[in-house]
Amino acid sequence: MPAGAEVDVVVIGGGATGAGVLRDLAMRGLSATLVERGDFASGTSGRYHGLLHSGARYVESDPISARHCIEENAVLRRIAPGTIEPTGGYFVATPDDPDDYLDRFPAACAKAGIETEPVPLDELFRAEPLLSREIRAAYRVPDAALEPWELVDGTLNSAREHGATAHRYRAVIGFERDADGSVAAVMTRDTRTGEEETIACRAVVSAAGAWAGQIAELAGARLTMSPGKGSMLIFNRRFSTAVINRLAPPGDGDILVPVHTVCILGTTDITGEDPDDAVVTEEEISALLADGERLVPGISGARVLRAYAGSRPLYDADEVSGAASHDESREISRAHHVIDHGARDGVGGLWSIVGGKLTTYRLMARDVTDAVAAALGNDAPCRTADEPLPEPAGHSPYWLGDRLAAIEAEGGGDADLVCECELVTRQRLADALDRRADSSLDDLRRTTRLGMGPCQGAFCMPRAAAMLDARRADGRLHPAAPDANVALRSFAAERLRGTRPIAWGDQLTELFLTAGIFRGTLGTDALPEHTGGDDAAS
Amino acid sequence: MPRADVVVIGAGLSGLACAAELAGSGASVFLAAKGMASTHWTHGGLDVAAPDGASTSRDGIARLAGSAGHPYARMSDHVADAVAAHRARLDGTAVAMVGDLDMPLAPIPTALGALRPAAILPMGQGAAVGPWEGQGLLLLGIGHFRDSWVDYAARNLTAGAWPGGPAEIRAVTADLPGLDARNNLNARTLAVLFDDPAWRARALAAMAAVVPPGAWRIGVPAVLGLEAHAEIHAHAQEVLGGAVFEMPSLPPSVPGVRLFDELRRRITAAGGRIQVGFDVVEVERDGRRVRAIHTEAASRTLRLAADTFVLATGGIAGEGIRAHRGRRLEERVFGLPVTAPNDSEWFSDDPMQPHPIESLGIDVDDHLRPIDPTGQPVLENVRVIGSSLAGMRYLEQRCGDGVAITSAHVVARSLAARSAAA
Ligand SMILES: Cc1cc2nc3c(=O)[nH]c(=O)nc-3n(C[C@H](O)[C@H](O)[C@H](O)COP(=O)(O)OP(=O)(O)OC[C@H]3O[C@@H](n4cnc5c(N)ncnc54)[C@H](O)[C@@H]3O)c2cc1C
Ligand SMILES: Cc1cc2nc3c(=O)[nH]c(=O)nc-3n(C[C@H](O)[C@H](O)[C@H](O)COP(=O)(O)OP(=O)(O)OC[C@H]3O[C@@H](n4cnc5c(N)ncnc54)[C@H](O)[C@@H]3O)c2cc1C
Repeated sequence: MPAGAEVDVVVIGGGATGAGVLRDLAMRGLSATLVERGDFASGTSGRYHGLLHSGARYVESDPISARHCIEENAVLRRIAPGTIEPTGGYFVATPDDPDDYLDRFPAACAKAGIETEPVPLDELFRAEPLLSREIRAAYRVPDAALEPWELVDGTLNSAREHGATAHRYRAVIGFERDADGSVAAVMTRDTRTGEEETIACRAVVSAAGAWAGQIAELAGARLTMSPGKGSMLIFNRRFSTAVINRLAPPGDGDILVPVHTVCILGTTDITGEDPDDAVVTEEEISALLADGERLVPGISGARVLRAYAGSRPLYDADEVSGAASHDESREISRAHHVIDHGARDGVGGLWSIVGGKLTTYRLMARDVTDAVAAALGNDAPCRTADEPLPEPAGHSPYWLGDRLAAIEAEGGGDADLVCECELVTRQRLADALDRRADSSLDDLRRTTRLGMGPCQGAFCMPRAAAMLDARRADGRLHPAAPDANVALRSFAAERLRGTRPIAWGDQLTELFLTAGIFRGTLGTDALPEHTGGDDAAS
Repeated sequence: MPRADVVVIGAGLSGLACAAELAGSGASVFLAAKGMASTHWTHGGLDVAAPDGASTSRDGIARLAGSAGHPYARMSDHVADAVAAHRARLDGTAVAMVGDLDMPLAPIPTALGALRPAAILPMGQGAAVGPWEGQGLLLLGIGHFRDSWVDYAARNLTAGAWPGGPAEIRAVTADLPGLDARNNLNARTLAVLFDDPAWRARALAAMAAVVPPGAWRIGVPAVLGLEAHAEIHAHAQEVLGGAVFEMPSLPPSVPGVRLFDELRRRITAAGGRIQVGFDVVEVERDGRRVRAIHTEAASRTLRLAADTFVLATGGIAGEGIRAHRGRRLEERVFGLPVTAPNDSEWFSDDPMQPHPIESLGIDVDDHLRPIDPTGQPVLENVRVIGSSLAGMRYLEQRCGDGVAITSAHVVARSLAARSAAA
């Protein structure tokens, strides 16, 4: 170990993959620390479609990926049941979907090890009455809804139990390299305080997803990513109880996932350059709704709460395999790939893990950890598939009805609700802040669903800001945490970003009402930049 | 089948004011509205005009009248009369207004601890206006009421600049009898509790117990009763030992509900009829005239015929105008042309700042008749009032209430003159 090393491995990126790598390293007895530039799961892992894939979507286009998905689907149900709502799923053929695909589908699934079962149409329509009556065939598959924030949270908690540490709001800004070119330390900066810190290490795993190319470049290595932007729409209620997929080669707007109280229609796929480009365009929205109509007639007239986009961590296939070229990002393999930059670019001690799915995060982590552990002389076996995750991922899945039941069990009434749409109580927020005293309102949203319902925060934002402020005044908020006014403004901006692209109908009315409450009644246009008090604004 | 001289569509400030004035002048009026309106969402004050830089409301009106396309550009001469008529209507009631067009626009504290400019306020909020002259501001919160944030507000008021403001700002919270986190407390449920004299006496005593010694003006949540507000307000000042003002917070707005109730009483007392709860579903036309509208009523449709129809449906927030995908805008009752800033981005990035789209609405002529892009009236016997009108950004210019009552007054006067002549 080089002198001054602080940890064996630094993991870059706090999405599902990075969290999985941290856990795997720690469980094998390696010392490890993770740095994430934003909140945990604020990258693609927090902006995805919400589907625990059965793999059936990829049986033809990407059989390796399909096999990975079905295997990991079973593993996650075992180790993280609390993050999964076992909705089941259907593949349905509309009149627009090709016959030959329909004919080949069952055999292709069987070959990949995915159990499918034809479903009689009358049974399908009884279970899913809002589906288009033009649907002409259906298969049942083991899809499910997967909650990303609790999965990442639970994975990180497991890693911590095994001695690892994880830091959010810390961005990687560079590397120190030895004379032979291998990485010796990772340079980081706290994105809120600007404080810089260098972490010496023996190895680095870049799990920066769509940003992995940027990280490689900082280290002097080469990795061309081909981020595919995907946009999705959230509706204010569920239109199906199970996941609905189009029985066709992957296309736009072809999957509907019921998630908690809402459902998500997606996705588009646009090859881009900049993974931070999360703008959802009007064209994308039209395309999604037009395709959604084929599954659920009338869906384009339903209330859309938000639009959002994520960036697929796809790598340039030429780059890793020298394989055939591609023109559509959907045709790039979604299977993951471990890249040893020592062997390839002369930057020893750096590995990138790219591609894959959220569903396969554990497998991706295992593969890269195998490589790193071997290089560091560690031969402990991977145990991440055997040991269940601790809370919160271990309990039963979130269901709004459970929150209601818990509130009623305490004696009825309305408890002390901060967010009426998602039944978030004051106690729940307090617990979340106890666990992470440096949270912004948007961070609280990811752990509690604050502000994610129909009103998109109009009522709960000022209430929650007042809670943050009370904690700051009591000295119970982390010094790096944004003060209440900063948190309020940035949360409102974040909520607005998701409503703007779909600001029509009821949601535009909601936006006007929110503006009226905020600027008209509460005067937020004249709110001081920072809230005052004993340790007023620095 | 009901028939009236005038059918007013919409029960917001503009529709209510117009119907009250018409009914008061002897016209037969039927007011039909889909639902409760922005009275139930807003602060209940009378924002006449407070654009950036205005010293008084009158100055604000002049500034806004100078910008082409603003509703005040064609009505500024009538604002003073409209305000006087509105005040006269409310005088002697619990929602009587204080302040006037020539008073300096004063910064008053909001429930979040920001300052907003105001001049004309309901009596119960009047003490929020300076001059403070050495007095302190005490923010008195109510325990377990999730929409009262006095500590946060006090810290914000301390952090921000408040020229000529209070000598001292403090926050205290009182726990009121029988309230705990289990109650479903919104402003309205609290106001109903305050209406009960026995509970109120104990509540005010609990509030008095937390008032520190000193000369204070006391800001309390806007929950001091619905029916008995005037009495409760007087009682509170006496028990708490200082001028008391209400601070509106999240909806439902108790000051707005009081205003709605009072105006509704006015209309029915003068013989007007009101029906709230049903959408207009059909319009009968005769060329450029509207003969009747149909509303959905309990299990049947109701045909309302009239000489004149006043559209007071309140734009996007009131749901009189609906935006469809692809920026297609629809005025929902008559299908009138809607004007919007179509060439620019509709929204700003900053949720705390104005969005260009807020100026959308219906273009009208000097009689407030809806016009097409060539300036010709689309329907001759329809008038448009309130925030359905194009060309203002009421939140930024703080002119929504002034435009509502002025347009209501202009229309009511001309229609009353006409039915008197007939
Ligand atoms: C539209 C869309 C829909 C999808 N739907 C599904 C689905 O339904 N099911 C499924 O299984 N998969 C789905 N996927 C794929 C899945 O979401 C991703 O494969 C997975 O989330 C990637 O996780 P990750 O941890 O590798 O990347 P990320 O979650 O993006 O994590 C990378 C992290 O690195 C951080 N980072 C970047 N730069 C730096 C830096 N300089 N310093 C520190 N940190 C940095 C980022 O902030 C980010 O948090 C979807 C993807 C998209 C785009
Ligand atoms: C939350 C909020 C805060 C505000 N704050 C301020 C402020 O601080 N300062 C300011 O100057 N202005 C403010 N305003 C604006 C101001 O309140 C309004 O401009 C003013 O009250 C006038 O409203 P209105 O009468 O035109 O319409 P509204 O009050 O919106 O009423 C519209 C009415 O029309 C009815 N209606 C709509 N469509 C139909 C239909 N098809 N059939 C039948 N009935 C229908 C509705 O049910 C409702 O009764 C605010 C508005 C809102 C919503």
